[in-house]
Amino acid sequence: MACAAHPALAQSDSATAKPPAAATPPAAASTPTAPKPAVDQCYACHSEQETPAATTYKNDVHRTVGVTCAGCHGGDPTTDDQDAAMSKAKGFVGVPKKDQIPAMCGKCHGPGENAYKSRYKLDDAFGDFKESVHGHALAGNPKGPQCISCHGVHEIARVADARSPVHPTHVVETCAKCHSDAAYMRDFSPTLPVDQKEKYLTSVHGKRHAMGDPKVATCVSCHSNHRIFQAKDPRANVYPTNVPKTCAHCHGDAKYMAGYGIPTNQYSDYVQSVHGKALLVKTDLNAPACNSCHGNHGAAPPGVSSVIAVCGRCHQMNQELYERSAHRAVFEGKKLPGCVVCHGNHNVQPASDRIVSFEPQSPCARCHVNTPADKAAPDIRRLHLVLDSLSTGQTAALAVLDRAENLGMDVSDARYSLKDVNQSAVQARVSIHSFKVKEVEEAARPGIAIIAQARTAGQEAIHEYGFRRQGLAVSTLIVTFLVIMLWLKIRDIEKKQKEKGR
Amino acid sequence: MTHTEGGKRGGGIRGWIEERFNLAPAIEFASHKQVPEWKGSFWYYFGGVSLFLFIVQVATGILLLMYYQPGDKTAFESVRFIVTKVKFGWLIRSIHSWAANLFILSVFIHMFSVYFTKAFRRPRELTWYSGFILLGLAFAFGFSGYLLPWNTLAYFATKVGTTIVAVLPGLGEPIMELLRAGKDVSTATLTRFYGLHVAIFPALFTVILGVHLMLIQTQGMHEPESWDQVPQGKRRYMPFFPNFVLRDLLLWLIVLNVLAILAVWFPWELGKKAEPFAAAPGGIKPEWYFLFMYQALKYFPAKLAGLDGEVVGIILFGIAGLLWFLVPLWDSHTPGGMRNRVNTYVGILVVLFMIIFTALGVK
Repeated sequence: MACAAHPALAQSDSATAKPPAAATPPAAASTPTAPKPAVDQCYACHSEQETPAATTYKNDVHRTVGVTCAGCHGGDPTTDDQDAAMSKAKGFVGVPKKDQIPAMCGKCHGPGENAYKSRYKLDDAFGDFKESVHGHALAGNPKGPQCISCHGVHEIARVADARSPVHPTHVVETCAKCHSDAAYMRDFSPTLPVDQKEKYLTSVHGKRHAMGDPKVATCVSCHSNHRIFQAKDPRANVYPTNVPKTCAHCHGDAKYMAGYGIPTNQYSDYVQSVHGKALLVKTDLNAPACNSCHGNHGAAPPGVSSVIAVCGRCHQMNQELYERSAHRAVFEGKKLPGCVVCHGNHNVQPASDRIVSFEPQSPCARCHVNTPADKAAPDIRRLHLVLDSLSTGQTAALAVLDRAENLGMDVSDARYSLKDVNQSAVQARVSIHSFKVKEVEEAARPGIAIIAQARTAGQEAIHEYGFRRQGLAVSTLIVTFLVIMLWLKIRDIEKKQKEKGR
Repeated sequence: MTHTEGGKRGGGIRGWIEERFNLAPAIEFASHKQVPEWKGSFWYYFGGVSLFLFIVQVATGILLLMYYQPGDKTAFESVRFIVTKVKFGWLIRSIHSWAANLFILSVFIHMFSVYFTKAFRRPRELTWYSGFILLGLAFAFGFSGYLLPWNTLAYFATKVGTTIVAVLPGLGEPIMELLRAGKDVSTATLTRFYGLHVAIFPALFTVILGVHLMLIQTQGMHEPESWDQVPQGKRRYMPFFPNFVLRDLLLWLIVLNVLAILAVWFPWELGKKAEPFAAAPGGIKPEWYFLFMYQALKYFPAKLAGLDGEVVGIILFGIAGLLWFLVPLWDSHTPGGMRNRVNTYVGILVVLFMIIFTALGVK
């Protein structure tokens, strides 16, 4: 049947109604990379009819690079005979089912080699999609997302093209179409929040995005485009151990961040910090990554007043003690950011006992002076002494136990008991946040007692060693004396026996 | 008339005892008993040293029993309690362990001295057989006692030791399960070994040791083969009592000194508690007296005559042990009545084999 809507095409029906199969092989005709015919008859006819598909396809990036309708839908674009053009024998598939679309796009945007792929440097979007959480969602439910959910259908534009739904300025809205739709998301991940967009709009990223900043992070900046995985999947860019690098991708790039007026050493500081080492070296997933303090979708630097709350999420006891300490009012009065004043932010180091002292590196020394005029000076000295007595006392006790062990004495009980000193030291260090000497002394007392007991046990073992050696010497002497006496007795008996025998 | 009613009785303690128990035959026996005096007389004392070390082990073992608690959750802890908290517990445990090792060494010396002096020959075959059984029991004591502290080395050494038995075709697996009281070394194995170590083996050992000592006392010490050519008048003897007994006592005191020095200067280590689910530590080896067999088994090829090399090795060791046990049956005088030197060479080879393979195993 000819295309009735177009006389010219209708006239040519007889010439193209039944082309010899060998002349235009169906497989070639339905391949997107097949040579473009002089006239794309599908597009010509549908344009004439002003079908929405043809109208929108006019500006589609694929059309501009020569992909005919048949490239996706199959069929023969060289003929205006509707039956021949839309013949199944020529690979015509018509409107594909939704879950068939990724494979269809994958003909060019997939793993295989083809002319477009090398010419336009296309990546394996289909392969990435199949692996991704979206690919799995589609495999389990045909309502799931696929290529056209994000890229559109017949008016697909390059990502860099502002018309594209995945252009940086539109991508948040595009993702939010599904991710803000609680009813839709329920079918795939009922527990996943649907407020990402709302949070994003409150974030520094979201605010700058709203101002039209094209460089600012959007959904794909962190989650990637096609290789999207759940946050609990170690392959995800937003998996806890990958988060610091993901953020550092922009925040560690001085060139990219130029103009924003913020430092770019957060990542290098973080990896050296106690938090970074716990997360990245010990792979302790409970350790904080960037988003633990800054939030993820609503990412923003914690304000001066919220620092305590942010740190207190993990360091609860420290927060409680600090909030009832004298420092709180002073810091708030001077608009100082609580915990950060003493511990820093990204480069938080394990708190050593020197943190409370008058040593140059000590944060105490920044505000206090070791003079009689400073009323806090005696407390700082005392607090330092208490903490120091735990660590130096433990070292000294261990040295005594080592000496006892080197002498072959068993002091494993005492050595084991020293482990509890750490608990006491941790409690004492935590109680420092009250900045009250009495509380710190109270927390350190059990540890100091254990140290004293362990030391005594070690000294007793060393004494016991000496006692054993002395005991051995005495017993050896007695037994040796007996041996000599016995030998003399034997000689005496034998002498008498010989004399008697004579 | 009972023996208490007539005859002359002495005063004092001896008199008091003689009134109730006739000591005269024993004294008569001891006073007439003679011990041959020749260049090899020194070796006679190792039987007595072995007996002394056995007595030390019984005494220290009984003391350890007061505190030891078998069980995978208590054994290690109780031994640690003994060596750290109990007064002189460290000394008792260390002496028990050292005495066990010196006992095996002394028994080896005793056995080879008997072998090389041909003291197993008629009429002393039963003494040899009973001695061999005592040696086997000494090994069993060592093997079972080694596990009792339930430390890592003991656990895995027992595992390896009992696995070796399992390679025997047919009976291997059932024997291994019988030893382990299950498929694997567990708390059931520990309690089984404990029962064997403190009740069954001591009972058996005491009975066989009684027979062994009775045979020695009734048959007297073996005279050297060379005395066949020495006229009766030129043979030298020493009275068993008091000469030999006092010399025995003297050596016991020296051994006691050595034991004390070893126990104090080289206290027997307890090691770390056994962790059955942990990986076996490297360098697991059996006790030194099993080492020559363990090491030799390593040199057997994987397959020998269609059988597993290890199986062939165990069978060969079994045959060698049986031949050693039956040496009184196959040893013979040369046709001229002279000493059969082949046996001596076999003995030397066995000693060299044991020393070389033990040294290789220790490396």
